[in-house]
Amino acid sequence: MSTDERTLALVAAGGLDLDDRRILNHLAELVERADPVPPGLIESIGMALTIEAMHAEVAELHLVGEPALAVRADETSIEAGTITFTTDVLTVMISVHAEAGRVRVDGWAAPAGELSVELHQGGDMTSTTSDSDGRFSFSDIERGPARLVLRRPSEPTIPIVTPQIEL
Amino acid sequence: MMSDDLVEPVDTELRSQGEGLADQAARAVVAYRDGDRAPLAALVQVMTPLLWHTVRAQGADQELAQDIVQNTWLTLVRDIESIRDPRATLQWMLVTAKRAAWRSVRRSRDEMVRHEQDEHVTDWLAAPADDLPDTVAVRSERDRLLWQHVSELPDRCRRLLGLVALVDRPDYGVVSRALGMPVGSIGPTRGRCLAKLRVALASDPAWSVS
Repeated sequence: MSTDERTLALVAAGGLDLDDRRILNHLAELVERADPVPPGLIESIGMALTIEAMHAEVAELHLVGEPALAVRADETSIEAGTITFTTDVLTVMISVHAEAGRVRVDGWAAPAGELSVELHQGGDMTSTTSDSDGRFSFSDIERGPARLVLRRPSEPTIPIVTPQIEL
Repeated sequence: MMSDDLVEPVDTELRSQGEGLADQAARAVVAYRDGDRAPLAALVQVMTPLLWHTVRAQGADQELAQDIVQNTWLTLVRDIESIRDPRATLQWMLVTAKRAAWRSVRRSRDEMVRHEQDEHVTDWLAAPADDLPDTVAVRSERDRLLWQHVSELPDRCRRLLGLVALVDRPDYGVVSRALGMPVGSIGPTRGRCLAKLRVALASDPAWSVS
């Protein structure tokens, strides 16, 4: 056994001390700074788990037409835009307006009727109810990835979920 | 399938243990099965960074790593009823994420070889400090020295130390096992990887004076 090898074996057999913890803490900082968890990842996992928890009976609403205008989270150009989602049982149209750094979402669902409407953003959820004409709105909403979940009184166990959009 | 009679003793046992990620994960799984999703949501916050770096240490690129980490969580909730021992959740997730990353990376590397591209994808913690993006990571001489000595360690040691650093002591063994390193490679003794780093730092005069 060489001297180097003997030293290494001796140090390796030693118990962890405060210096070890300091070095590891320092290393943790470097790791986190060099390769941070991408912004939004934790939120989108939270959202995926929320949707997953609703279980298999989810009717997916499909995006219709060109989403570019309304869904790009471009800092400079969040113009009012309209998006339509559709499924066999429901059509939802929403328009998004910039409002002092935040956004307002106005929506309309057909066939008309009172629906429970939830806006999911990361782990957060805001809910409202549509009026008898199927209209609903959310104001003072943070920008970022979002998803609507609508529930019909006739079939409360089968929520209708939109794909994720960028407000 | 997990039977309910196993849940309670586990939960009782946990209360007497120190709180590490493995314990927190176990409690989150038990709570989720009882219909309380909040502890799992909290777990996502604290455990995702560890999963992220585990996957990145296998050489997965940013986009791939995001998919793998998210899928690992989805797999957990889909299989949550069949987890026999909730205390094994952390290890199970680390192994699941690591394997998924390893498979994807190997697949994409095979493709890359065909495209005659470079394959510097597994250089986790190995890039020279000077190559780091705009010294975001390296802010001081001491940062640079530590980075340099860690970079010079064998691949396995870099991964082990880089990931063990992210957890607290109760979870050292879980991280080592998930990486396929022998049990006890870190804690209660230092183990050879940390010893190598200590010896290297101790023999660097710049480290001791800085």
